[in-house]
Amino acid sequence: MRMPRIAFLQRFSLRCMPFRHKINMGITLIVLLVAVLISIYVTRLATEALLDEGKRRGTALATNIALRAADSLLSSDLLRLSNIVNDLRGVDRDVVYGFILDDTGTVMAHTFGKTFPVELLKVNRLEPQQDAATLLLDTGQGHIYDFAAAVRIAGKPLGTVRVGLSRGKIVESVNDLALTITLVCGISLAIATVIGTQFAHKVTRRLNALREHAENIVCSELGMERSTFATRRHCWDTHRCDDRDCPAFGGPGKRCWVMLGTRCPRCSAALEAGTLPGECHGCLEASQPGDEIEELADAFNVLAGALHSRIEELRATERDLTRQQELLHTTLEATPDLVAMFDDEGRCLTVNRAYADFAGREPDELTGRHEKDILPEAVAGAFAADTVRVFATGQPSHLETSLQRHGKTHHFHVVKVPVFDETRRVSGVLSTARDITELRDYQGQLLQSQKMESIGKLAGGVAHEINTPLGIILGYAQLLQDDVPQGQLRDDLGIIEKQAKFCRKIVSDLLGFSRQTESQKKEMCFNNSIMEVVSLVRHTFSLENVEIITVLDDRLPIIYGAPDKLKQVWMNLLNNALGALPHGGIVKIRTRLDIAHMTVTAEFADTGTGVAAENLRKIFDPFFSTKPVGKGTGLGLSVSFGIIEDHQGSLEAVSPLPEGTITEPLPAGVLAAAPQGEVPGPGTLLRVTLPLEPINPPPPPQEG
Amino acid sequence: MKQLAMRTCLSATLLVLATLTIGLAIAGCDRDPAAKVDLSYREELPPPQTPPSITYAYLPQYSHATSFMRHGQIVEYLRKATGLPVRQVFPDTFDAHLRMVERGEIDISFSNPVAYIALERSGARAFARIVERSGEPVFRGQIVCRSDNKALQTLDDCKGKRWIAVDPLSAGGFLFALGMFLDHGIGPKDFAEIAFAPGPGGKQEKAVLGVHAGRYDFASIREGTLDIVNHTLEPGSMRVLATTPGYPSWVYAARKGLDPSIVAKVREALLTLSDRDPEHEAILNAAGMKGIIPAEDRDYDPVRDLLAKLGLDPSKVIGE
Repeated sequence: MRMPRIAFLQRFSLRCMPFRHKINMGITLIVLLVAVLISIYVTRLATEALLDEGKRRGTALATNIALRAADSLLSSDLLRLSNIVNDLRGVDRDVVYGFILDDTGTVMAHTFGKTFPVELLKVNRLEPQQDAATLLLDTGQGHIYDFAAAVRIAGKPLGTVRVGLSRGKIVESVNDLALTITLVCGISLAIATVIGTQFAHKVTRRLNALREHAENIVCSELGMERSTFATRRHCWDTHRCDDRDCPAFGGPGKRCWVMLGTRCPRCSAALEAGTLPGECHGCLEASQPGDEIEELADAFNVLAGALHSRIEELRATERDLTRQQELLHTTLEATPDLVAMFDDEGRCLTVNRAYADFAGREPDELTGRHEKDILPEAVAGAFAADTVRVFATGQPSHLETSLQRHGKTHHFHVVKVPVFDETRRVSGVLSTARDITELRDYQGQLLQSQKMESIGKLAGGVAHEINTPLGIILGYAQLLQDDVPQGQLRDDLGIIEKQAKFCRKIVSDLLGFSRQTESQKKEMCFNNSIMEVVSLVRHTFSLENVEIITVLDDRLPIIYGAPDKLKQVWMNLLNNALGALPHGGIVKIRTRLDIAHMTVTAEFADTGTGVAAENLRKIFDPFFSTKPVGKGTGLGLSVSFGIIEDHQGSLEAVSPLPEGTITEPLPAGVLAAAPQGEVPGPGTLLRVTLPLEPINPPPPPQEG
Repeated sequence: MKQLAMRTCLSATLLVLATLTIGLAIAGCDRDPAAKVDLSYREELPPPQTPPSITYAYLPQYSHATSFMRHGQIVEYLRKATGLPVRQVFPDTFDAHLRMVERGEIDISFSNPVAYIALERSGARAFARIVERSGEPVFRGQIVCRSDNKALQTLDDCKGKRWIAVDPLSAGGFLFALGMFLDHGIGPKDFAEIAFAPGPGGKQEKAVLGVHAGRYDFASIREGTLDIVNHTLEPGSMRVLATTPGYPSWVYAARKGLDPSIVAKVREALLTLSDRDPEHEAILNAAGMKGIIPAEDRDYDPVRDLLAKLGLDPSKVIGE
């Protein structure tokens, strides 16, 4: 029950009352108050004026009678005096009585008939010098104004005239006047109410139109196509514009200074900029928009236009911002660098995916954490100090550091740049860490290559110088053997010859390594080259319990190369495999033609001891050998590497063997018949890849 | 919002209350203090009584008030000087004055010479007469014309001319002049016209103005009038053509049968009045005289002769 009552009260409360009723009520109240005040005030003034007038009239009447009675008083003409006072009755209806006294106070004439109310003689008596007096008498039946006027001649008092006027009669006319005033006020009130109603109706109608106009503006997305306000003068009149293609041309309520996208160069640019051009204030005045409500409607239009323009700009900016944000996000997420941003207290604000992956956590988990909680303790201190320095100096910093993760050493190049806010204060630090481990490796390899090149040159030079005396030593050793009979001496010479040959082999390898030996390249059969070497060593290998299995591509690939050198490579590779199989095993040779890449590949796989991962790169270095001293020169693979490089091919080692290298694509019977080592090792695969044709073929030999 | 509504309501209420308060204050303020009078308490009044007294009357040349103003002080003086209950009475008309003197209702009469001739016939006797403001105990009439009127040099020149007089019964303004013309053998019919100044009041001046305006050729006026008129006309524009013989001025007369001792007392008192005494001078000025001198009946014989000459009944003539 309470709620409906409150709703009822609210409906009739001043705040909820319609504006029309408020105006009505205000006007009515004002007019009513004014009417009441005027009625009371005017009635009061009129009453006073009428009473004053009555008093003046009474005084004048008494004075007049006094003048008229002077002669009669002098001549004691009682008849005339009696006539004079009796004439008073005809003067006005409010005259109650009149009487005349002589200088001794004797009543000379009166209007009361036979008897006289003697109490009148006791009141309102004039002083000797007094000319007139007025006194209000209360007779019990009513009030009477008693007027006394002295009768004088040459200043000498001859008597007194007394006249009584009824106050009630005077007040009657006052009441008539008050009634008239009240009626006039009432009529005025009624007229004011009617006019006020009309006025309020007109005002509220226009206010409603304004509200509707505002709603239209909102409903039409701040456009002004549905303006409910028609203007008195249009923009094309004001500007003398004849551009009928302009959106503002024609139609009520359209003006170029309140519409966006018009063809008016002045107004349109100003509205786009959100300002009304100075001249357009003149336009507004010239358009005579009407009263304040119409001006308000125009202001709404301009406001809506400005808002529309601003909102469009904001939307465009928002789209641009979103695009840039996406771009930045993608860039940050895609970059392998570890990117993180820290605030002035060293807390992480944001990180990219690479950073999170490196830390082994999700990006959200890192937000708010300190760098020392994320990074290993070994570097956290240095990083934090670096961050503090960037905050202090505002200068970027560069730092290279190493981290041990998952058993591997990672090298990082860390760049920290300050992030400034709008007051040029450092508000954060952007940290970018790039993994330069690979770069470091390449740097190492480059260094190694340069070293090998120097060694090669040195070895080549030395070998070239040693080759001639060695040939002489060998020649003389062989000659002396012919001259020396069987015996100790001849055996010793044999040892010299053997060791000299061994030295010549080393020298020859050194020369080959330094590519100082020349050999003729020609078209040759790849498979045959291999098979020639295999048939040469197969017997020797079988003695060492090593089985050679060949799986050759039967498409007979022909390559352009030096047959001797390549045979030397095959021999080296097979020797290397044999060295890895001290207890026997399998060496599988497989050739494959790759038409797509125009290459031919030979793979030498053994089931031997394999190569440790850290030695995989070193096995091609000269003089690197795992064999005991005297067993190998450590030059085989490095010489082979040089020959293959000379053929623009590649030589690589893989250990352990990939799954199925030996077993596929061999038939099961072949593998079962093969001799097995006691314990098959992880094995090594050496893969030679050669181009079918030289990339830069030498010029064909000249005829003749 | 609620506070605002409450404030609005409060303001409206205060406004209405203030209006009503002001209205009531305006409406309810002063009222004259009223004296309680019981008009129902009445008594029958005795008729006014007049005490016995020596009555003094001024020939009703003017209103009673004027008569009172001129002679009220003399009456008062007489009451004090003689110790008699002298009272001024106011006859309404000249005739009433004569009748009242005849009936003994007026004891002391102050009248002009012509009236005195009539009063004398009822037995009244002159005992004093006044000295005019001019200082003479007589007054005269004058014939005046425009100064530039060369045609009028003598009385005879007045024949056939237009005459404006003050009044047919005016002593100084007409009768004295007519007597003078008759003495020169010029009768009323010898004039082209005899007109009289329109009344009431200021007739002497109007007669002069009539001539000055050229409407009439000459005027007959009481001596002294020109001095008054000169205030309005340019000096010297009028000239006196002729002046009549002097006649005795206003006269005090006692009614027939009045106690001679009373007459003597009154006469004594009147003769005592002197313009040298400031108090007396005020009394004399108010009455329009310079002094009072003894008089006898024969002093007025010239007047009787004039009336006889003109064939007038003194009882019908009004003095000035």
